[in-house]
Amino acid sequence: MSEPIRQPRRGYSVRSLPGFAVVAVFTFFALYAPILILVAFSFNAGTSLAIWEGFSLRWYAQAAANEAVQEAAVRSLILAGVAASVATVAATMAALATTRTRRFPGRTMIYALINQPLMVPEIVTAVALLIVFAWIKVATGHTSMVYLISAHTAFCIPFAYLPIRARLETMDYTLETAAKDLYASPWKVFSRVTLPLMWPGIIAGYMLAFVISLDDVVITEFVKSAGQETLPTFMLGQLRRVVTPEINAISTIILAAGAILVSLFFWLSRGRR
Amino acid sequence: MKKLFAAASVLALSTTGVWAQELQIYNWGNYTNPKLIEKFEAETGIKVTITDYDSNDTALAKVKAGGHGFDIVVPSNSYIPIWVGEGLLMETRPDQMPNFKNVKAEFVDVDWDPGRHYTVPWQWGSTGVVVNTKYYDGDINTSAMFLDPPEELRGKINVVPEMGDVMSLSIMYYGGEPCTNDKEVLKKVRDGLVAAKQHWLGMDYGNLEKFAKEDLWAGVNWNGSTFRMRLQNENVNYGYPKEGFPLWMDSVAVLADAKNVEEAKTFQNFVMDPENAALISEFARYANGINGSEPFMPDDMKTAPEIVIPAELVEKGVFTPTCDPETQKLYTRIWTDLQK
Repeated sequence: MSEPIRQPRRGYSVRSLPGFAVVAVFTFFALYAPILILVAFSFNAGTSLAIWEGFSLRWYAQAAANEAVQEAAVRSLILAGVAASVATVAATMAALATTRTRRFPGRTMIYALINQPLMVPEIVTAVALLIVFAWIKVATGHTSMVYLISAHTAFCIPFAYLPIRARLETMDYTLETAAKDLYASPWKVFSRVTLPLMWPGIIAGYMLAFVISLDDVVITEFVKSAGQETLPTFMLGQLRRVVTPEINAISTIILAAGAILVSLFFWLSRGRR
Repeated sequence: MKKLFAAASVLALSTTGVWAQELQIYNWGNYTNPKLIEKFEAETGIKVTITDYDSNDTALAKVKAGGHGFDIVVPSNSYIPIWVGEGLLMETRPDQMPNFKNVKAEFVDVDWDPGRHYTVPWQWGSTGVVVNTKYYDGDINTSAMFLDPPEELRGKINVVPEMGDVMSLSIMYYGGEPCTNDKEVLKKVRDGLVAAKQHWLGMDYGNLEKFAKEDLWAGVNWNGSTFRMRLQNENVNYGYPKEGFPLWMDSVAVLADAKNVEEAKTFQNFVMDPENAALISEFARYANGINGSEPFMPDDMKTAPEIVIPAELVEKGVFTPTCDPETQKLYTRIWTDLQK
């Protein structure tokens, strides 16, 4: 005799299971409380990171007036812009090649290779790049931003690739087949049908790559040549000695820029589905 | 946007070299006074770019790999023999430069660079004990403050987790020399540290706020950092352990593969000028090694007990040498025991 399969009782949800709420609250607290404190003290009128002395924007003014911060910020933005652009183009091509083709042997392998930088510990990549780039720098005597740009491009590619590929996987072939049936050339099909449809994925990929490049510390610290301080490596250097809320102010600005880009990323990848 | 563009073009120009002469300095972050660089640029017409590092090891690794593009580096005393041994520094003979006469006598024949053939003093400081004298009013010039703490201070002590400094202080407290491998002394050090640890609240960096708010009352700390604590809370005092305390000095060196050698030498000579040395100290708040810089220093530094070592304790300061790898291994074992 078998019991009839019980339907879950009405109103069943994970919410009624024990532990979930506690873990959730604790996790959010651990993740966000320190960041909130950091942001709050960026508005401190005093020089302390622990004693509140009233609201002020003085640290933002000081950071904005600091030439080293300006230079590093501009350098970071240029670097992130160039690296994210190149990475997005490469990622778009890679995504097309791994989704808009008939299955070929080794496709999974290629997929794994593209995403490999996500798995390798950053310090390993950094040390490897330090050694290889140093050879090239010694051999050629050339020490421009090219090294940072190529390193950043390389680790940004998987981040740009994932949203673009996700977008392509939700698009079936109907429209492209229809365009082909109407005698559109392959280039026309791509530029008038495929590209406009995958555009949200590309933008999302670009923004993710941009944020990742903007945040990077370890690889940048090892690859940078003379005079190539970025905002995160500049901040790392400041931390050794006295820390003032100026660092909080700079962090808050980076945080806000990142949050805006990531929100846009979600909005774009949700919309137009 | 316009401003951004202007900044970008300045960056582009500065890399293509509108300035006839340039100098690439690789120094600790937040350590170089912008006023010092402005003065150097104005006096010499040499354009300076500063790039930061965050540890002796990072700097050494990057320069060793090659192709770095730096001219000047500012390593700590215990690392300089490694830099010289690896052939990474240029023998610029600062001892023959015009401003060398200003270098304090005790910093000329130093262990890590006898006669100063490679390096020029930048800043130096000490590791000692910090005590809030509101809670303890006895003699604080002793490592007993953390190794055998008085009743009043127990449970409110923080020791900076800097193996070299803590080991040196402890070894000298128990009667040894820094870098000793005398097992008997080291056994006392180990047992002493492990026993003392129960009275400590923690082993952390960056406690300026906690000392200022009196959450911590005593511990091991650096002089410059304690100076900044006292500026926030006048009860915080710095003690120089009479059993002996470690000193450190960062020195300016020119890299063997520097491109701008003459400019780098000009800079070495420049920082030995008393007025310029005072600018270095004014910013990072540590003493320099240059005679006659005192009149140019900020008033609160001229007499600061954290900067000026009491005459009777000067002798007790020891520049810690680089210990040999075998000894270092012993120390690491003791340190690991302590962390348990």
